[in-house]
Amino acid sequence: MKTVTSHFFLFPLEMKHAFFSCVASVKKFHIPVFCSLLLSASSLFAELSPPSINLSDFPAASVQDVVVPVPSEIFGVLDKLGNPNWKAQLRLRKTQTPDDRAQVALLLGSVIAEGFIAVEAEDTERVKELGRDVLTLADAINVRKSVLTRSKSIIDKADHHDWHGVRVEFDGALQDVRAAMDEMNDEDLAQLVSLGGWLRGTDALTAIVNEHYTLPGAELLHQPELVHYFDRSINRMSPRLRKNPLVLRIHGVLNQIGLIIDRKKQDIPREQVKKIHSLTDEVVLKINDVS
Amino acid sequence: MSLLALLSSAHGSVDAALSFAYEAALPYSKQYAIRKDAWGGDLGVKEKKAVMAQLFKGNDYWFLMASDVKNAKISVHLYDTTGKLAESEAWQRVHDKKHYVSAGAHIIPDKTGTYFAIVEILKSPEERTPWALVYGYKDVKDKDPKRSK
Repeated sequence: MKTVTSHFFLFPLEMKHAFFSCVASVKKFHIPVFCSLLLSASSLFAELSPPSINLSDFPAASVQDVVVPVPSEIFGVLDKLGNPNWKAQLRLRKTQTPDDRAQVALLLGSVIAEGFIAVEAEDTERVKELGRDVLTLADAINVRKSVLTRSKSIIDKADHHDWHGVRVEFDGALQDVRAAMDEMNDEDLAQLVSLGGWLRGTDALTAIVNEHYTLPGAELLHQPELVHYFDRSINRMSPRLRKNPLVLRIHGVLNQIGLIIDRKKQDIPREQVKKIHSLTDEVVLKINDVS
Repeated sequence: MSLLALLSSAHGSVDAALSFAYEAALPYSKQYAIRKDAWGGDLGVKEKKAVMAQLFKGNDYWFLMASDVKNAKISVHLYDTTGKLAESEAWQRVHDKKHYVSAGAHIIPDKTGTYFAIVEILKSPEERTPWALVYGYKDVKDKDPKRSK
């Protein structure tokens, strides 16, 4: 069991695996029967909740940090934004493995997000390449075992055009890699994986929103706490990582995005969407640059 | 289920709370993707904690909380950044035979942004009560009248 820190913590992998295998076995058999058995031995009550609260009553110590959404939480919503040209968003260059572990972690997150874009574009071969890239990059930071099955499943499901299934596997790969890194006390690198995914996802999202600007589309970028969370995460990293030129650049970009995504203003004008796109696009290029 | 119980007893109370939070999520797991990441800790009676979550308009979420302290009462409610109650429904449950308690809150956000899950120990025989919170999500289908373009 990990020590509880000021932000959320991850629980042991085996417990999560027990839950998710339990779900799988329940799904195989009798969900309605199982659920009614669960409910039969319990009593339900309703406690009235106040219609409003004063959030300033919660000092920093009694606030737990935001959990980074997995890509499918966002891509599921993006599906409803008409019919964007996802193929145009795909980066088709071959993924190379950098020497720098921080860059590998960022690239791994970026490749997983790329996988979602390839799914949206229904590009079977690209999805399979990215599934293999996930394994190669995970190997470079010693978490190959955690994604071996996921990588195989991504390839199998892409072959069967099971796009929902591929999304589930990419989501799972991201969570498994992060959990494996946390288990190895590599929490900084785990954060970089999430950050790499978020940057690539935001890069694609801003391109799509900018292409056919609508307020509901732009509203998806309203993620102020998430931006501040990543900013705080970098501040908490080891001095060596904080001084890494790529991390340093990303930190600067987060600060600029933080100024654009105002906590109080829900609407993000097109010019600001373009600005966020140019910022994220530049760092995603750097993350992918292995020269 | 016995496997979860064994694991929880081997890992301590917050872990037990987590296994029960996952158990509380089981009835939803067919429709909702349950996240592996979770929040947790321990609280005194009447003590509250705010948990921040980034939610997206167009999705539908359930937050499920649990504790393994018998005879405790716990709650989770969802508020927006102005402090206004934002959930569409909430429940609390005592599982007498399994010796745990759980609570749930449901939201289909009107806006994309930060929301606060306020967790509270309403009653407990223990000085500190361990708790865990998980959430599940699914996208709201296009025909759902609650979703506006």
